[in-house]
Order: sequence, then structure tokens, then C-alpha cells
Amino acid sequence: MPKEDVFTDLIREHQGLLYKVTSIYAHNRQDQEDLFQEVVYQIWKYFDSFRNESKITTWMYRVAMNTAINHLKRKTRRPDVIPITEAIIKQTETKDELYEERLRLLYKHLQHLNTLDKGLIFLLLEGKSYKEIAQITGLGDSNVGTRISRIKKKLKTNMINS
Amino acid sequence: MELEELQSAWAQMSTELEQQKKLTNDIIMKMTQEKYRNKFNTLTNYESIGAIFCYAVAIMLLWNFEKLDTWYLQTCGIVSLMFLTILPTLVLRWLFKIRRLDIIKGSFRDNLLNYTKAKNNLLRLQQLAIGIGFVMMFLIVPVSSKILSEKDIFQADFKMSNWIGIILALLFMIIFCNWGYRGYKKVTGSAESILKDLQ
Repeated sequence: MPKEDVFTDLIREHQGLLYKVTSIYAHNRQDQEDLFQEVVYQIWKYFDSFRNESKITTWMYRVAMNTAINHLKRKTRRPDVIPITEAIIKQTETKDELYEERLRLLYKHLQHLNTLDKGLIFLLLEGKSYKEIAQITGLGDSNVGTRISRIKKKLKTNMINS
Repeated sequence: MELEELQSAWAQMSTELEQQKKLTNDIIMKMTQEKYRNKFNTLTNYESIGAIFCYAVAIMLLWNFEKLDTWYLQTCGIVSLMFLTILPTLVLRWLFKIRRLDIIKGSFRDNLLNYTKAKNNLLRLQQLAIGIGFVMMFLIVPVSSKILSEKDIFQADFKMSNWIGIILALLFMIIFCNWGYRGYKKVTGSAESILKDLQ
């Protein structure tokens, strides 16, 4: 199969993953679209360097999150368009009000976390084990565990206070 | 809201996203190519504005060429005209060549190799342009002085203020050229190290 087809199949298959990474790091819909394209471009750019040493999704999480963090650092001007909570709800095209409210709260809580904490909690929400999170982020297993329990406490306090 | 509720909302969103895969192969490839091209937009815009300015000055110079009535002013005028038209054309040509590279075809290694070579050529050309800009200052001053104020500065009596102006302009050019040259050298250096790694 030509490389181009393998690449497009991969992006099509895992577009939800890319969408979720970009949704937690972008500040509005326009920013998210821009970040999404940048992530796709970076995956293409480094596609040949994937060595099958880890799962392809692990590698994709790593590229996507690194790109998002770099994008965040570079971004100084942010156009004031649609807040991300609204963007994500539109993307998922749901009519369930309770679910919408939950998502809005979820993003609200995520926005209060710093870049690394946001990434760690995102991977936890994705159902990744501490070992996988460590592989993706490059942190040590125990470090991941300590950080996550600290973030959980922080989130719980925020939830009680809000 | 508990953490478990967050997780269940996230899981529900993941399921919904799984069900609606909107991207097609065509959109993905177009998006990738477009993103690559966009990376050069700012640079192309700046260079295009610079080129338009150079061409406008060249047209003005050509329009008033008969005002240059001595052989040395005419020589300065011809050399200035050449610099003002050839250099921006070459820079724009290289920039468009880099933008036109089809990153979809071929391996990333080949793409990076072609891109780095094209970029290196562009940077070398711009290094040359910095050097030429320094010489250009000495050519364009007598030409513009003659065209704009009918003064032949080769025969005019120089006042102290003229000398101060020239010294200040020279100092500015030295600082600017040095800064520009170091900047370009740094970028070329990193591009060359990528090339060496690949070769």
C-alpha cells in the first residue's frame, strides 16, 4: 500500500484522538482547526521516523501533544471567536442537554490546569495506564502516579468549590 | 460533579467522535500540503513587498534616466537598476520554488533534502544581497541625489552635515549588515547540519 494511503487511513481512523488533543489545548474553534492541521502536518512530516517500537497510537499521542504544547508556546495572538466548549459541542452534534452540561464543566475544569497537568489528565480520561502515560509523556512511571493523584485532588477541590 | 462523571462524559464524547469520521483522504492530503505552503506565507509576503518596492524604484530610475548626464552617474544608474531588478527576482524565484515542492510525493527524507537544498540556496542569495546592499548605498545615493534634487554629489562641496549623514548611514549599514549576516549564517548552519545528517 502506498505511504500516502497508509497515512490518510491512519488519520481517518484516529481523527477522534487528534480532535480531542486539539480541543483541550486550543482556545477557540479557529485555533483548534489551525492546531488540528498542524498536528496532521507534523504526523506526515515524521511519519517515516515511526519505528514500530511502540503502538502507532502512542506515537500519535506523543506527536500531537508535543505539537499542541509548542503551538501553545508560539501562540501570542488569539483571535476571539468561539469558546472551545461551544466548539466541541457543535462538533459532537448532540442534543443531550445533560451531556452538554457535563462536557462544558469538564472543559471548564481542564482549562484551569497547567499544560502538563492538562495532558496527563487527558491521557487518564483516554483510559491510558500510568505506564502508557509515562511512555507518551517521557515521564517516569512513579512520577506520573504522583502527579496524577495531585491533579485529581486539585480537580476535586475545584469541583467542590464550583 | 465527580471525577467518574467527567470520565463518563469523556467516554461518551469519544464514542460520538468515533461514529462521525468526517475527513476524507483528499481533505487530509490537501490539508497537509496547504499547511506546508502556509509556513512560507509571512516570508513570501515580506519578500514580495520588498520586491515591489525595488521594482518601483527601478521604474522611477528608468523613467528619469536621462537626468543622469555624466558617464559615472549613468554607470551608477545601470548597476543600481541591475541590482534592483535581478536580486528580488531571484529571491522570489527561490521562495516560490520552496513553496512549490510537492511534499506528498516521495519520502520525507527526499523532501527534506530538496527543501534544505532550496532553503540553503535562498539563504546564500540573501547573504549576498546583504553585501550588495552595502555597495548599493554608495551607488543609489548619487543617483537619487541627481534625480530628486538635480545635484551631482561627485562635484558638490561637502558640508560637515553631509559627512555626518554619510558616517551615520555607514554605521547603520555596518550594524544592520552584521546583524543580518549573523542571523542568516545561523539559519544556514542549522540547515546544513540537517543535510549532513541525511547524507
